[in-house]
Amino acid sequence: MPDNWSFVAAAYGLAAVVFIAYGRWLRRREHELTALSASGAHSQAVRSDNTQAVRSDNSQAVRSDNTPRSQPLSKTGHPRPEPSKRPPLQ
Amino acid sequence: MTVLGWLTALGLVAGLVMDFGIAPREMTQGNVQRIMYVHVPAVWVAYLAFIVGLIGSIAYLARRRPGADRIAHAACEVGTVFLGVNIATGAIWGKPTWGTWWTWDARLTSVSVVFVMFLAYLLLRGAIDDEERAARYSAVLGIVAALNIPLVHFSVYWWRTLHQPPSLLKPGSSTMPPVILTALLVSFAALALLGAYFIVRRARVLALEQEALA
Repeated sequence: MPDNWSFVAAAYGLAAVVFIAYGRWLRRREHELTALSASGAHSQAVRSDNTQAVRSDNSQAVRSDNTPRSQPLSKTGHPRPEPSKRPPLQ
Repeated sequence: MTVLGWLTALGLVAGLVMDFGIAPREMTQGNVQRIMYVHVPAVWVAYLAFIVGLIGSIAYLARRRPGADRIAHAACEVGTVFLGVNIATGAIWGKPTWGTWWTWDARLTSVSVVFVMFLAYLLLRGAIDDEERAARYSAVLGIVAALNIPLVHFSVYWWRTLHQPPSLLKPGSSTMPPVILTALLVSFAALALLGAYFIVRRARVLALEQEALA
């Protein structure tokens, strides 16, 4: 049977890439979190996927990216204006 | 941590020396058989990590200690990485020896089911915002997924498969030549150290994340 060195290289190379990538990700994440705790920014909720968990006590929905909405929400929570403010249908 | 890191690096170098410098060319398959030294230890480390995850999950459900959940989470994630490497290297080994990258054989299918279950475990953890609820649900899923490991191991006995039966984890003595067995065990020790290093480091990252959330 031929030696198939290319398959051997592919298997070891793939394993090396996966392990190195995972190890680098762990190290980077650890550095980020250590820097964050050192800077005293504990109040921000940080998740492992780097998004911010937003919790709001009021009843209005808050976007997770904190961008402002183009218009205020209706009280019913529906994006369209209240029925009483809509112009009558022609 | 640093000591474990250096031991891991040393183990990996020793493993590579054994795999390519000392272990001989296999008579039937040729040099492609050297893939075994990464393929087989990867699944053993994955099994060990899942067993650690199983123990951590049971401990969390019993005592509700966040430390147990962190260990379970870290071990299951690292086990999934190693199982992914095992499946990928198995496909690479399968092509020149079986003539196919993949077949719906009992061993390959059962190991893929376990892999998908642990991917679901990781997705579940990320999908639930409430930390306690995420820990509780994923602990249950982690236990159910880990209980499938015996199914993977015995699948080669219970069904007719293309995958060969175990050469080592079986009753009776090994049929492997001592030099090949030694290379396999050195590679296993190296990858086990790497797995332990990853689990310790991941658990630390999870602890830092929880501190940041508090």
